[in-house]
Amino acid sequence: MKLYEHEALGSIFKKYKIPVPRYVFSAEMNDAVRQFVDKEPGVVIKSMVLVGKRGKAGAVKVVSDKSQVEKVFSDLATREVYGERSIGALVEEKLDIEKEFYLSVTYSTKDRAPAIIFSEHGGMDVEEIDPKLIHTYIVSDVRSVYPYQIRQFLAGIGFSDKELLRPLSEVIVNVYNAFWGSESRLLEINPLVVARAGDKRKIVAADAVVILDDDASVNPAVVYGARSAQGRPLTQREQDAILIDQGDHRGKAGSYVELDGDIAMMTFGGGGSTVTAETAIEAGLRIANLTDIGGNPPAEKMYRISRIILSKPGLKGVLVCGGTASNTRIDVTLGEGLAKALDDMNAEGKLDKNLVWVVRRSGPEYVKGLKMLHECFVRNGIRGEVYDSQLPITEAPIRLKELLIKHIAYKPEEVV
Amino acid sequence: MKGTVYLNDKTGIVVIGATGREASQVIKESEALYPGIIKAGITPGKGGSSELPVPVFDTLKEAVKDPKVGKLLNTALIYVPPVSVLDAVMECLDNGIKVLYIITEHVPIRDSEVICQEKVRRGAIIVGGTSLGCFVPSVGRIGAIGGKDPTVAFRDGGIVVISKSGGLTVTTAEMFKRRGWGTYMALAIGGDIISNTTYADVLQEIKGDSRVKGVVMLGEPGGSYEEQVADLIMAGGFDKPVAAFISGRFQERMPEGVAFGHAGAIVERGMGKATDKIARLEAAGKKYPVKVAFYYHDLVKAIESLGVPRDFEDSTTEHVKPLYSTF
Repeated sequence: MKLYEHEALGSIFKKYKIPVPRYVFSAEMNDAVRQFVDKEPGVVIKSMVLVGKRGKAGAVKVVSDKSQVEKVFSDLATREVYGERSIGALVEEKLDIEKEFYLSVTYSTKDRAPAIIFSEHGGMDVEEIDPKLIHTYIVSDVRSVYPYQIRQFLAGIGFSDKELLRPLSEVIVNVYNAFWGSESRLLEINPLVVARAGDKRKIVAADAVVILDDDASVNPAVVYGARSAQGRPLTQREQDAILIDQGDHRGKAGSYVELDGDIAMMTFGGGGSTVTAETAIEAGLRIANLTDIGGNPPAEKMYRISRIILSKPGLKGVLVCGGTASNTRIDVTLGEGLAKALDDMNAEGKLDKNLVWVVRRSGPEYVKGLKMLHECFVRNGIRGEVYDSQLPITEAPIRLKELLIKHIAYKPEEVV
Repeated sequence: MKGTVYLNDKTGIVVIGATGREASQVIKESEALYPGIIKAGITPGKGGSSELPVPVFDTLKEAVKDPKVGKLLNTALIYVPPVSVLDAVMECLDNGIKVLYIITEHVPIRDSEVICQEKVRRGAIIVGGTSLGCFVPSVGRIGAIGGKDPTVAFRDGGIVVISKSGGLTVTTAEMFKRRGWGTYMALAIGGDIISNTTYADVLQEIKGDSRVKGVVMLGEPGGSYEEQVADLIMAGGFDKPVAAFISGRFQERMPEGVAFGHAGAIVERGMGKATDKIARLEAAGKKYPVKVAFYYHDLVKAIESLGVPRDFEDSTTEHVKPLYSTF
């Protein structure tokens, strides 16, 4: 889960003694912001959004003329950045910058270890830095990370500013400790600046990107509040879906990402859901959602996610598709959970009979489960075809496309 | 030895977290299918319990000292909750278990990293987290892979299936079985960021095994484990036919999510995206027997075109008819 910059500063950088500019965060202009600005000769104001490349979008502004602060603040605190609405603005002291470094810590899957990534040429987008100027230190023993190791690394890459060797090595170890201690997936500071302070120089983190491990020992969604990975607020259906798995660890049915399309996806298993969605898109179907149901959820969970998936307006088809389950009961999920959702929706007048369905599923009790679902289709007047694993899993979306074209003149996307 | 280092005729399993819902079901199922392959279970506080068809101990130390089963234990199957996995792994390593499967999902990455470094120091084999287990039809199985009736998907043959996704491991074995290829081994390595057993690790273990006729590998976006296969093959480290499918191309066309992976993209420039993985494997395919399937179901054609011999007859018909239709 990605943190807002002010969250990273307040809860992680402070704790691990990573030097940061003086700052204040606020959702709207208030006295705290005014008092802060009064004491500073100049400030930097940043929109608080999760999306990156804010500078290029004009969402980071240096303000030296204090009469402009209110106007800039109100703009940046409320504007949309790449489609994401700002939740407020961060106001920071304006630093007297001498130079800018790039620093990040993440996991390298090549080495299967944490990697400290450093460049003397920070400040620009990392993709724009010449790869030859980016250096990596692999933490091959996480039990012991000391500044001297970082100094050896910096010396080895020809780091040019010897006076900074000790303070920089100590900051880098603090940053590594913050990454490790906060259970991050990525901690990135771009730029890490060298700032003039009178006749002295200091190292300051002028940006903070922290992505926490969603599986961390303390769930970040509990600490910071759940947020969409798409940089937009959760839709009502997405929020409703999250509730399904809360407090009930039997199986998983609460994953639901809403998209713009018209084909409802009721897919099972991480890998199976991905390949099914992928094939549907390749075949030109406009999918309405992603989901990933698995781990043998009880009928009640399946009932709830089915109703959420089918509640999206404008649907034209439904694909119920999964591989050969090892664990998930097909009679419980499809024969009971889904079938009851359809019965109830029909009774409430909420079931669209024009939908075209394809079902493809196998696993424990699938003969019984598919038969139960078919009987449900018959009694509710639902049009669809039901397959077991004789039909390869990824041919199911292709079959759905054929039926959609045949029965409702569906116009698939032209896929390049 | 019959089988592989991951599962063979000497394998004796101890289940850690044995009396939990999923673990106890797996133990009962395995005992019915392959009697005796699971030797013991561990649940602190449940030692001596008779609720399972295998003896239950409070600690692994008691189990390895047990005169009846102690000497037979060499493989651990871990089913404890995510935050207890690191503890369970250390208990296994400290008690001399050298092959471990972590079935638990959502293990904290930081714990996975500690586990991975400890594994290297101890010279152990660890599969997972998020593994579904291993299936070797000529020997038996570890974990829930294949469910109550594994014969639906598995029949002895020459294909090795390696997949991050547990579900697709079984689904793929079944797709091949219907078309005439049996499985020598199916291994669900799990999709965690820090993967204790990678595709390349498996290929290096099986490269000299004459029973392996071809490999089917199922990859996903993220990390560089698929790219490492291409690197291994291009360095001459594996020369048997490999058919690959990499899912997730579509994610590149989705609305841009949170900008993640900048740092990862630097560590491994040009790696991580599905299209990059596909490109790397296709590059290897110019000189070596490697084929990437565009659609998942094209894997069958890929294995066929690589000349991997069928183990038995193709049982499919030209056109699959639905079981039921309401049109």
